[in-house]
Amino acid sequence: MEEKKQPAASPADSAYTQWYEVKSGDTLWKIAKAVYGDGSLYPEIFKANQDVLSDPDKIKVGQKLRIP
Amino acid sequence: MKLESAFAGFLSLAMAAVLLAGCANQMEPAKKAIADIEAAVTAAGPDAAQYVPDQVQAVTSQVADLKMKFDQKDYKGVIAAAPALLAQAQGLAAAAASAKQAAQAAALEALKGEWTTLSASLPAAVAAIESRVNILSKSKKLPANLDAATFESVKTGLADAKTLWDQATAAQSAGNLEQAVTAARQVKEKADAALAALGMTAG
Repeated sequence: MEEKKQPAASPADSAYTQWYEVKSGDTLWKIAKAVYGDGSLYPEIFKANQDVLSDPDKIKVGQKLRIP
Repeated sequence: MKLESAFAGFLSLAMAAVLLAGCANQMEPAKKAIADIEAAVTAAGPDAAQYVPDQVQAVTSQVADLKMKFDQKDYKGVIAAAPALLAQAQGLAAAAASAKQAAQAAALEALKGEWTTLSASLPAAVAAIESRVNILSKSKKLPANLDAATFESVKTGLADAKTLWDQATAAQSAGNLEQAVTAARQVKEKADAALAALGMTAG
């Protein structure tokens, strides 16, 4: 799964913050499975993106998520 | 007539003797003048050769010319040229000291710049790696692009990078910028290797 970066979105972000752009059919579970090898670790992604996500089941295509 | 001829011969010999004596009188000062110049070049030390090599070369080349004059018994020429060259040779030490100071100041500025760059980026790099390692350590199965051996080497590299970064910041706090930058460069190497192994890239 391709990880994409975008300019820092918050003071906590840096040049090393990893970003992923949500594609059609993605879920946080799928993203976590691809990035960490284990879908059950999706809360890690959810926690890192609480400024843009209020519900782990609601992600939008084109949304850029931090991958901690 | 014979008496006149003998007198003329004597006069010639006497004049030659006076000339030789004159030459001999100038030989020692000429010799000393060259030795003084060479001593001044030696006194300038290795710093002169390192920091003002062109000036050292110019002086040694002129010393060689003087020695040639000396060998040709042109002691007067040696003595005439020596003072200016001696002054030039005596100026080498100061010129070397000045050039060395400038080089050291430039090196320090370069180190400061490098430290600024490294210290601005490395903590974030190490933090990003640590975050990813911590999460991957909880994973039941590693992602497809990462095998167990590579992950172990990443963890080792991360630990090394953290230790080295502590050393770098301690050295910087102690005013040892060279040591700080050396350690920081090693941190960057470790961090870059870990980032690459984890498939993470810096923006």
